[in-house]
Amino acid sequence: MHSQIDVESYAPATAASVRNASATGTKLPFSQAYLPPPGLYDEMFTSTGEVRPHYAPILPLLRMRHDELDEMRITAERSLLHQGVTFNVYNGHAGIERIFPFDVIPRIIDYQTWSRLEAGLIQRVKALNAFVADVYGQGNILKDGLIPRDLILESAQYRRAVVGLKVPLDIFITIAGIDLVRGDDGNFRVLEDNVRTPSGVSYALENRAITAQLIPEVLRASGVRPIESYPADLLACLTELGSERFSDPTVALLTPGPFNSAFFEHVFLSQQMGIELVEGQDLVCKDHKLWMKTVHGLRRVHVLYRRIDDDFLDPVVFRADSLLGVAGLTAALRAGNVIVANAIGTGIADDKAVYAYTPDMIRYYLGEQPILPIVDTFLLRHREVREKVLRDLDQYVIKPTDASGGYGVVIGPHATERQLAELRSHIEREPHRYIAQLPVKLSVHPTFVSGADGKLSLTHRHIDLRPFVLFGQRPRVLAGGLTRVAMREGVLIVNSSQGGGSKDTWVLGPSC
Amino acid sequence: MRYRIRHVTRFTYEMPASQSHNELRLQPRDSLRQRTLAFRLDITPPAAVISYRDAFGNMVHAASVHPPHTELMVCAESLIQREAPRELLNKERFARFLCDDQRRSQENYDFLSPSRYIPFTDQLKKFFWLIRPRMNEPVADYSQRVVAWVRDQFAYEPGSTDVHSDVTQVLTTGAGVCQDFAHLTIGVFRLAGVPARYVSGYLAPKIDSGRPLGSQASHAWLEVLLPDGWFGFDPTHGARVTERHIRLAVGRDYADVPPIRGVYQSAGKHQTMGVALEISEEPADQSVQDYGATQQ
Amino acid sequence: MLRRIAGNLFWLARYLERAEWRARLVDANYRLLVENPGSRKDELWPLLTVTGEWELFCEDYDTADERSILAFLTFDRRNRSSIASCLEYARANCRAARNRISSELWLEINTLHLEARRWNSDLLLSHGLMAFFAELRQHFYRISGLIENTLPRDLGYDFLSLGKWLEAAENVTRLLDTRYHFLLPHPRDIGSPLDFAQWTALLRSASALESYRNTYGNQIAIERVVEFMLFNPTFPRAARFCIDHLQSALKRTPGAWNGETEIIKSAAVDVPAADNLFNKLRSGTAAAAIAGGLHEYLLEIQNDCAAIGDQISAAFFTGE
Repeated sequence: MHSQIDVESYAPATAASVRNASATGTKLPFSQAYLPPPGLYDEMFTSTGEVRPHYAPILPLLRMRHDELDEMRITAERSLLHQGVTFNVYNGHAGIERIFPFDVIPRIIDYQTWSRLEAGLIQRVKALNAFVADVYGQGNILKDGLIPRDLILESAQYRRAVVGLKVPLDIFITIAGIDLVRGDDGNFRVLEDNVRTPSGVSYALENRAITAQLIPEVLRASGVRPIESYPADLLACLTELGSERFSDPTVALLTPGPFNSAFFEHVFLSQQMGIELVEGQDLVCKDHKLWMKTVHGLRRVHVLYRRIDDDFLDPVVFRADSLLGVAGLTAALRAGNVIVANAIGTGIADDKAVYAYTPDMIRYYLGEQPILPIVDTFLLRHREVREKVLRDLDQYVIKPTDASGGYGVVIGPHATERQLAELRSHIEREPHRYIAQLPVKLSVHPTFVSGADGKLSLTHRHIDLRPFVLFGQRPRVLAGGLTRVAMREGVLIVNSSQGGGSKDTWVLGPSC
Repeated sequence: MRYRIRHVTRFTYEMPASQSHNELRLQPRDSLRQRTLAFRLDITPPAAVISYRDAFGNMVHAASVHPPHTELMVCAESLIQREAPRELLNKERFARFLCDDQRRSQENYDFLSPSRYIPFTDQLKKFFWLIRPRMNEPVADYSQRVVAWVRDQFAYEPGSTDVHSDVTQVLTTGAGVCQDFAHLTIGVFRLAGVPARYVSGYLAPKIDSGRPLGSQASHAWLEVLLPDGWFGFDPTHGARVTERHIRLAVGRDYADVPPIRGVYQSAGKHQTMGVALEISEEPADQSVQDYGATQQ
Repeated sequence: MLRRIAGNLFWLARYLERAEWRARLVDANYRLLVENPGSRKDELWPLLTVTGEWELFCEDYDTADERSILAFLTFDRRNRSSIASCLEYARANCRAARNRISSELWLEINTLHLEARRWNSDLLLSHGLMAFFAELRQHFYRISGLIENTLPRDLGYDFLSLGKWLEAAENVTRLLDTRYHFLLPHPRDIGSPLDFAQWTALLRSASALESYRNTYGNQIAIERVVEFMLFNPTFPRAARFCIDHLQSALKRTPGAWNGETEIIKSAAVDVPAADNLFNKLRSGTAAAAIAGGLHEYLLEIQNDCAAIGDQISAAFFTGE
């Protein structure tokens, strides 16, 4: 038996290593370390190999010896495993817990870039919220013909059961995770929206805690904006929604349970917010009110932060075989006695086909030009478009309209003949279920990689960014978000379910 | 004509049931020719009840009974004023009707698309082909032709299908009940480009002729959207609806409008359901005051 | 506190206690083996009767030797009561109640669970069993320390206490019962070194040997052992001590929601079996217990414990 290795005992030594490794200059000795790749946007280095100014604070980190970096990585990952910072992988076997691979080299976003992203994110989620309210309310955007009605009604994410349902402050989307990518032109684009039950924020917070242990001095000296207020901000938003209808509302987090891939996050957030973590079996609807079963009897729940998909929430209205939710919840919602966040039916706003219309939505609802562009998207439901895409299928990224988490995505240039043939027949059978996009050359970031053969290297890997946007009475944006990194060379899908890892994400303050 | 309807559904449970949550679609849906003068819902044991309109505009009562019970009784009483349906006067032909196809497919997407019990299978498409519209045929005539033809092709046979059968079963077995006839006929209309929706309701018996087809409990038929509005057809009888057809709710198919749908908790597996339906004609001058409070 | 979470904490404590008890049991009996040269290879089999798993063992193993019995009791996951299984269940309950316990405690339990997943015969034997169990004991002490030092004395702690004391009380009666029932010496062995060694091992299984000697001196007599293990009010593994503490945890738990936000204290919890056993152990004596048949007496206590478990579950974990 080993006794567990204490993370903190490593930290000072590592910080010292960083200091020892620091030297002046803005370049690395490329011969032995890191080469920015040609034709791709490198977050840290310009194409001529100069370090970008906002990355200067962590340059010493890249000059460290590989075995030192590896020691940091092992320490970080062991700490994650022992703390149970894990996610479950669905592959037919229950209870497979993995850690989310952690890369010790942080991703840094400068103040100006972030300010613009922040404004764009708020604008975007505001428009998505207005869209959801409209779709389940008056339906003006459909009447005005901006979005075809059939595209909404045929979406697997459209919920007829909540048509006409009112929510406080007209906020349907309380929590949004918007996936951003930076292309080879250096511009950020929205890749997809996640406005059902977006996950990942706990990893962002845990990653920061680990960086603070591994390289506390670098972190402190860099003027990085703190992120620890996220759980308090989330609770504030949920409470603000609840306070519209109830005095002193009780908030609870609904989880599918320990076998869910994001269970760690549910535990983490409920603990940080100081609210109960409930499962369906803990809840009961009585008199069209929601209650949790406590040792002292039933206790009222006013706001339910749910991390369960719509389909499983209420067997009366949705899947009758679901044991994860609570019977009668929809009626309690209709009665106005409970608030569910995110509201039921928000998935219509992150449908991949609806995504194509998001710039129009921003103009329609807000009368503003979109700050953040989207990736060019082609709806395969249109015959001419479909024929054009099918002619050069290997040039496109094809996504199912109703899936998330990277499931079902086919990247044409990387696909085999057989995959393409299969995809072609799927598209021909159900064209409305697919969209096509031109591949984005995701930006790359120096990443410390331990290969399958145990070989250590400092190399470039593709990354994206998932910032988190909260809406209560006012919007709140987590400074940064979760940077996901594709741990295998050349791979463009960064989702954790597809073997991706993550990095700590630093947003610098105005003075930096 | 004025009808008094008393619709009692009684569930008995093998072992006590608790936390029973139900959606009821038992309040008649008004139209220009059908008015609800009074409606009253009684549930035993006493239930917490709220009401709201669903996505198709039907009135839904959500009823929940929390404590353990061995029997649940839902009694819906309505007093209905029903006028004879409109005549089919519009003679717009199919060729002209289809010019508006694009607009209709937007505004009535739900009633032109396949739905849970009405998938557009090859079998259904072949069946449709046998009764496809002629371009110079008025849409109203076509509608009557379809309904009469469907009635001739299939046998009314209780027990040949169940409540969860889709159009495939009725096409395969050649027999069904009102629900199956409605689904099948709706499928034909949708494939022809005529919006069609499912109607659940009651068929009041003729005083002198005993109980008509489909009166065991509830009846089902359909409505199609013709150029001058929605018109009801009853494929079980192969004809237009009459003033004896009393409408409860409309939807894409049966899945949208079951009169009672819900869940409960129980250690037992079995429940039995009994339905008693009484429909009587009322003289038009009778006061409705004896119903007390009407709508909830 | 949620009813499910209260149940998780109760079972977390029970499984931890069970794992620890089993570790001590195996350890003490292994020592007995080592300290009695000439003992046979299958000398550990009585352990399987103590735990009541002889039949289960026979289903999976052909031979009952030291290696197979140790494997079965320590890390075999097919045995739902092996130490590793208990730790797995403890950890699962802990994970479900994760936001009710301290990070330090979770870290310790999770780390131990991850280690238990790696246990196997080779590792145990190469490590040396004594060293293995010594190290395992350290884990349990750390866990107890973390429970005492990092958890607030609130309802959560009370449910942990209920689980711990109930399990401990049950374990001590089972230990006494089997030793008495199965190992009751042949008349010819009474007073012989083996008998002495076996009773010593029993006391050691309960970490009670030193306390016993402090109380009664070096002589080990059945009646005194029974007195000490059942009726001693000060020794933490004596049945009476366990039930005293269970009873006081129980007294702290009742309450009801006043409206929607506030808990008022009320005396509405119904666990009559606990009062019953509490009174029984207060008034009992070893002489009377032995005179009336010790096995029957112990069985009665075990039934009382089972009833307490059922009544606690009905009062707090199931229903509304």
